[in-house]
Amino acid sequence: MRELFKKILLIIIASYIESIFYLYLINIYVIFPITFLLYSFLIYKTDKFNNVIEAFFIGLLVDLISGTYFGTNALLFCLMSYLINLNSNSFKLFSYLQVCLFFGITSSAYVGFTQMILNLYNFSYIILFTSALFNILFCIFIAMLPIYFPRFFSRKI
Amino acid sequence: MARNSPNPGQKILYFLLICISISILYVDIKTNTFSGIKNNFKSVKISSKYLLKSITVDPVTSLIDLLNFKNDLITENKKLKQELDQSRVENYLILNEKNIFKTKDGLDFFLKNNNLDNNFQIAKLKEINPNVFKCCDRHRMFIEIFSDEKEIFSESFVFNNSGIIGQVIDGKKIHEVILLTDISHSTPVKTKSNNFYCNAQGSGKSDYIKCNYNPLVWDEKMFIGKIFYTSGLGGIYPSGVKIGTLDKINEGDVNKIELEIRLIANPISDDLLGVISL
Repeated sequence: MRELFKKILLIIIASYIESIFYLYLINIYVIFPITFLLYSFLIYKTDKFNNVIEAFFIGLLVDLISGTYFGTNALLFCLMSYLINLNSNSFKLFSYLQVCLFFGITSSAYVGFTQMILNLYNFSYIILFTSALFNILFCIFIAMLPIYFPRFFSRKI
Repeated sequence: MARNSPNPGQKILYFLLICISISILYVDIKTNTFSGIKNNFKSVKISSKYLLKSITVDPVTSLIDLLNFKNDLITENKKLKQELDQSRVENYLILNEKNIFKTKDGLDFFLKNNNLDNNFQIAKLKEINPNVFKCCDRHRMFIEIFSDEKEIFSESFVFNNSGIIGQVIDGKKIHEVILLTDISHSTPVKTKSNNFYCNAQGSGKSDYIKCNYNPLVWDEKMFIGKIFYTSGLGGIYPSGVKIGTLDKINEGDVNKIELEIRLIANPISDDLLGVISL
């Protein structure tokens, strides 16, 4: 329960940060889904099987906080949870680069899907591709951090 | 430890929840059913934000604002005081302009140009030791003259809003001013009748200068409260500017009478001064 509250708090903070960054990053055609990436990372990092109901309700909570249509994030969080749980053992065989590519591409799929729902008439491929590039680079950057700062990242990403 | 992949039961659950999500999404897009919940959430969010802000941020902000307001007031007050001092100095100059510019027909020049900056500079008091000023013989002060031009201010006279206080003797950026009360300073003074002239020596006491004269040479009757003016004979000070009143008469000798003249200008009363070179 405590773990769940911690997760919810982190998600709320990430959603707030995302809303701040959004205003600046959209000027360079980038959408950076921090909440989605954080939740994906939390599912990826955990050793236990992730509860699908938890993913669904956290998704609904994110929908409520971010003001998007109900079900958007619930659906995507459920799908992401399923994908990660399905490939949880396969990830151990992947290199960091492949894992980063996976998260980068799924986050750009998230961007594409949300854009299709929220911004269909102004759907922009530039935003989609620049966001994909940005998210992949961000994931690589995060994966590289423990190499340069091993003391701060005692656990393997 | 290896993580378990979703079993068929969990897969069904995933499928069900994904279907529910899609249904909710569809309903929300088509019918806008959940707008009430969203609006309520937004109103709670906004009101709680305001409530939190009013409890936490607003008291701190108001305190900072209050402090800034006080600082602004102090700055404004200082600025106003400086402007007031400057206007007082200028008023003094305007009131005495006839006397000040008489020696070199500067009045015409002054009226033609109506530009005080030609001869008139504002200076700020930088340093004076009031203890030394009250006790000792050496009465000096240091001023900073605000002038863009590289003029030589030596032998310019210095005044504040109450009257002449001394003359510049040295300096480039910070100028040294010898005060009228300095024991090594002499001020040529006269009476209103122009029948009495004297070189008044600094007394070493604040506010007083001394004038020694031979009553056999100058027979004008002296009395307490008689007004003395600058004579302009030294070439430093303009003629006819009121400098002080007679405070004490010391008749020590038949050939020598000492007059103590109390100056009207106090050098430490203002920190903004005027400098004029004739």
